[in-house]
Amino acid sequence: MNQRPRAFRLDRPDIARADVDEAAPTAAIVVTDEPFDAIEAADGVVVPVARRRRAPWLAILMSALGGLVTLAIGLGVERLIADLFAVAPWLGWIALGLAVLAAIALAGIVGRELGGVLRERKIERLRAAAADALAVRDHQAAKAVAAEVVALYAARAEGRAARERVRALGDEIIDADDRLAIVERELIAPLDTQAKRVIADAAKQVSVVTAISPRAIVDVAFVVFAAVRVLRRVARIYGGRPGALGFLRLARAAFSHLAITGGVAVGDSLLQQVLGLGLAARVSAKLGEGVLNGLLTARFGLAALSVCRPLPYVREVPPRIGDVAGELLSAAQPGRPDGPL
Amino acid sequence: MSLLTRIVSGAGSAAQSLWDASGQLVQPTLRLGVTGLARSGKTVFTTALVHHLTRGTPLPAFRAAAEGRIRRARLAHQPDDEVARFPYEEHAETMIEARRWPQSTTRISEMRVEVEYERAGGWRSGPATLTLDIVDYPGEWLLDLALVGASYAEWSRQTVEGSRRPGRVEVAASWRQNLAALDPAGPADELVAERASAAFKAYLTALRAGPEAVATTPPGRFLMPGDLDGSPALTFAPLDLPRDGAIASGTLAGLMERRYEAYKRHVVRPFFRDHFQRIDRQIVLVDVLAAVDGGPVALAELEEALDQVLIAFRTGRNTMLSRLFSPRADRVLFAATKADHIHHASHDRLDALLRTLVARAVKRTEAGGARVGTVALASVRATRETAVRDRGELLRAVAGVPEAGEEVGGEMFDGETEAAVFPGELPQDPHAVLAGAVPPGSFRFPRFRPPAITRDAAGRPAALPHIRLDRALEFLIGDRLA
Repeated sequence: MNQRPRAFRLDRPDIARADVDEAAPTAAIVVTDEPFDAIEAADGVVVPVARRRRAPWLAILMSALGGLVTLAIGLGVERLIADLFAVAPWLGWIALGLAVLAAIALAGIVGRELGGVLRERKIERLRAAAADALAVRDHQAAKAVAAEVVALYAARAEGRAARERVRALGDEIIDADDRLAIVERELIAPLDTQAKRVIADAAKQVSVVTAISPRAIVDVAFVVFAAVRVLRRVARIYGGRPGALGFLRLARAAFSHLAITGGVAVGDSLLQQVLGLGLAARVSAKLGEGVLNGLLTARFGLAALSVCRPLPYVREVPPRIGDVAGELLSAAQPGRPDGPL
Repeated sequence: MSLLTRIVSGAGSAAQSLWDASGQLVQPTLRLGVTGLARSGKTVFTTALVHHLTRGTPLPAFRAAAEGRIRRARLAHQPDDEVARFPYEEHAETMIEARRWPQSTTRISEMRVEVEYERAGGWRSGPATLTLDIVDYPGEWLLDLALVGASYAEWSRQTVEGSRRPGRVEVAASWRQNLAALDPAGPADELVAERASAAFKAYLTALRAGPEAVATTPPGRFLMPGDLDGSPALTFAPLDLPRDGAIASGTLAGLMERRYEAYKRHVVRPFFRDHFQRIDRQIVLVDVLAAVDGGPVALAELEEALDQVLIAFRTGRNTMLSRLFSPRADRVLFAATKADHIHHASHDRLDALLRTLVARAVKRTEAGGARVGTVALASVRATRETAVRDRGELLRAVAGVPEAGEEVGGEMFDGETEAAVFPGELPQDPHAVLAGAVPPGSFRFPRFRPPAITRDAAGRPAALPHIRLDRALEFLIGDRLA
């Protein structure tokens, strides 16, 4: 505050100019140019990925067919009960009772599934809203997102203090990204740690099972089983409770995410993975397969993590394959060049 | 009388909206309201916006452009034949070739841009066109909106009381002398009215020239008459009226009142109806830094002026019916302009200061259901950023060419020399500035000349640099290009 405004003519001979990466000259006044695009960088602009949707003809077909099938079942049940009443009234009453029971159970299942899907939708919407708020620095939207995240975890015993801290921010004027970064740090980061541990465990398990399993079919079955379990666990950690429908939605999202990020992964560590795999495979084919399956599971787990997380990555670094499958990779690395090989 | 005119003008604008709505089906149009007091940068914002849209510069945070869905944008014939065309080419050339800012706007002008884009998907896909209408006008006229609800007696009282405020007394002295000599109950003499009006005009002009003036005192046409100079509707002045006395016709006060009402009827209402009541999206440009430079009095004046102006606008969520009969602006963006005058590390503080200034208006707008955003932006970025180490003290400064005659810390500039300027550090707490806890002289925000534009091998100028113009665009029109 005590720094007075002042100006420095750049053509004055006693002013030294410097570049950012050079050592500073030893003059009384040194002017260093900063990068021109620093503002863009500070705003953290991400180039958004286009979302393309087409007219949902398939969905319409499926729902129309589903409606027809439902009608057919209803008609069949109704006929059956009518027939039973015709044979003997007590049979008819029993059948009616069973039908009512079945209807109640169905309603229960549908309710649970809907609940699961709605929860998931809510998480997806939260993530989209947070991304929008970050893109236009809309502090009001960020405030709403923060409140919703707190509400999402309000029923949990752990993290009460963190929620209080977030809530205490309340109406303070904070930038959108700062506010979301605080929410991320306080509420989401601990969950990230848990999720990463779950993924790492699954990856390790898969690689061990593959390495010792006698038949290929066992590997495949176990990889699928582990993937399903990882997805469920990660979803539960972040507050989703997917039923069967919700699970399918999530799985589809995770697979499409995998398809996108799979391409990116070539740049970061695939080469290392393949090299490591080649060397490991030379040591033992089974071991190599185990490492590969473990890596696959870890990749899928990371995809699951990104589709289940209620916020985009604001300040936290997105986990990479090395974070959850580091042990596998280091295990697959053979001895050093000066080692026994 | 006033109720009747209100009903008639309401019916007129409803019919206009209905007509527009039927046109919307054929060609979707978005009317962008660029609002701002004088010298807040409306013309530069509009020019920069059209510049980037028509050139197709990459704008990372403007989703439609970043995804490459904008095929082209071109200037089209404007819808209203009686309004001048916004001289975009001239303004762009002034900034790029001569490196001068555009002259202050003296009359209303309009511009239409047709944006051809590819829809992002959904039920309808494929190419589409969005028509964007932008209106530019002298910011001095904006405060006239506050007159719409005030009678002549109220306005007179407010203006006379305003001239008694500290800091205005000296400026107002000669006008008040003239005012004291006038008898409201005297005969309606044309020459007396003319002389009173001239004295009042001189007072308004002197007020605006003052160092702390961020907002102007209405009536705005007295400062920027447009094509009405000298007409009776512009020849009136406030009088020192007795508190309870009714105004009799045939007296000087009666004459003044009639002209005041004529000014409202022929000047303010048509301007407001034709250009502000049909706005879909609104950006409010605020020159926060100039007001900070002027001190707490200037800030309070700015806050007051913005609040008065924004009351006049219709904002809020649109329903089916309101869309047909009286469309409302459903997104309002408050923008602190000239963000290139400070280092970006302080942009958050500038943003916070802006939010404090417009807090009242924001609350009201949000209550109506409109989406509100704030941003610190520079439509044309005139500086680059530097770090200055001055005898062990590290200053985050901006470097550019200050305009001729600007003076910072005892250094005078000729408009040619480049300099790194440290404008002072905005305080962490925005209320500190408003409360006057910041000692005077802590800030100095000189005006910079527009940036030197590099040219490619073929001699074509590069795009004008900007700060967060793309974010503002995304907020304002991004959803209509989905």
